[in-house]
Amino acid sequence: MYKSEKQTIIYVLALYLSSTLLLIATLFTSYYFYKQEQLTHSEKELLKEYSLTLEDKLLSVHESSDEKYEYPRFKDFNSAIYDIDKNLIFSTLKTQVTDLDKEFFFIGSNSYYISSLQPYYLGAAYTVIEKKTTPMNILNELVTLAIVVIIITIITSFFLVKLVLKPLRDNLRLLDNFIKDTTHELNTPITTILANIETLDPQNCDEKSMKKLQRIKTASTTVSNLYQDLVYLLLNHQVSSQNEELNLSDMLNQRIHYFTHMANIKKLNIHAEIEENVYFNADKQKIERLIDNILSNAIKYTDKETNINITLTSTLLSVSDEGKGMSEDEINKIFERYRRFDKTQGGFGIGYDIIKSIIDEYDIKIDIKSVINKGTKVILTW
Amino acid sequence: MVRTTIFIILFSSILGASSFEQNCLNCHGDDFKFNMMMKKYTLKYSSEKKIKKAIFEYLKNPTFEKSILPVGYLNRFGIKEKTSLDDKLLKEMIDVYYDKFNMNSKLY
Repeated sequence: MYKSEKQTIIYVLALYLSSTLLLIATLFTSYYFYKQEQLTHSEKELLKEYSLTLEDKLLSVHESSDEKYEYPRFKDFNSAIYDIDKNLIFSTLKTQVTDLDKEFFFIGSNSYYISSLQPYYLGAAYTVIEKKTTPMNILNELVTLAIVVIIITIITSFFLVKLVLKPLRDNLRLLDNFIKDTTHELNTPITTILANIETLDPQNCDEKSMKKLQRIKTASTTVSNLYQDLVYLLLNHQVSSQNEELNLSDMLNQRIHYFTHMANIKKLNIHAEIEENVYFNADKQKIERLIDNILSNAIKYTDKETNINITLTSTLLSVSDEGKGMSEDEINKIFERYRRFDKTQGGFGIGYDIIKSIIDEYDIKIDIKSVINKGTKVILTW
Repeated sequence: MVRTTIFIILFSSILGASSFEQNCLNCHGDDFKFNMMMKKYTLKYSSEKKIKKAIFEYLKNPTFEKSILPVGYLNRFGIKEKTSLDDKLLKEMIDVYYDKFNMNSKLY
């Protein structure tokens, strides 16, 4: 799976899931409150019934001819009676109620129902019913249901996203295969061109032809460089690094020599200060790609008849040009694949993407200093 | 000090009770349904304050409207005469009556 494809799947999944979760949360919250409302209603109705039961009992106690009156007590609820001036007459409540104006309310885990009475049996103008609130057990059920729904949604959305992305993935694979095949087919002709130019005897050519040959060589070097980049990108994920102690000094000299023809076309002066025997443990092909990309960028984007300064020490490699430079914003976006600021120059905009992947792998720090119309300096430190 | 207080309370309650006998039981007699009357007042007026006020107003100026007795009873026996007691004594007697017969104190 491609990195970008993975990212797209993650984004779409995140979007789909968050909106679905929001919907589920809204539905479940509404359902929870609806159930709560329903429970409150049924609780109130039950307490109302208890209140009528108490009223009946109060009536029979009031009518009794006993010397003393036994206040009615119940198994399922507690009660209290108040006179018309809201003075307590008798109570079996666990928590005394102060406000007799509310009809139905909760205090802690108890629910209360207050009703007024007439005639006033035993002098009671208000009855208060207290009952332990029936606990609402739907929260656990809801959470379990929500988890099941979320899991199903995740699985469905994953397959949905894959299904939606399938045509795109097929197209990408087709394009990828095409580039792979094309790249492979490019190798032989480029090698042939470069090898044959090298074998030409300059003495057999006049100055004009020699110039043309140099141009062909430079163009072939550029194409070869591009080929190497493409191969690197295409095989990057499949080939593991073959790290070895590299003589960076020798390698850098070699690569500068490789780009000399290209620099000569633009009449560039390459000033190289290379410390001898600088070693670095890395994959040769990758470091070659790293140096080639930095050098080719410098050559490509510098102005004609300017200087390119290259410095190598045991901890640093810097390449500076005197080109048109980049803005702060452009520097920040430079590592994006296919990002090209100057469309007049060739290339796919994959150079800095390659640089980034290599410096990340070897923990190399990159610092790009650039001033518009003055030039750019790329410093690698390790 | 405690003894004196207890003595005063006992004395006044005996005095109150004896004046209740003199001012109320004298006419109503022992068979008068004080309990029943209190039940009727409680059923209609609920609180101590309201019951005492209703009794006081009725005894001062008895009318058909103020009476809590059934109409048939009133038609047969008529309403009672106005009290001859002064307001202060009447209130005291009502207090004694309420203390002796109120329903709240008999609830358990």
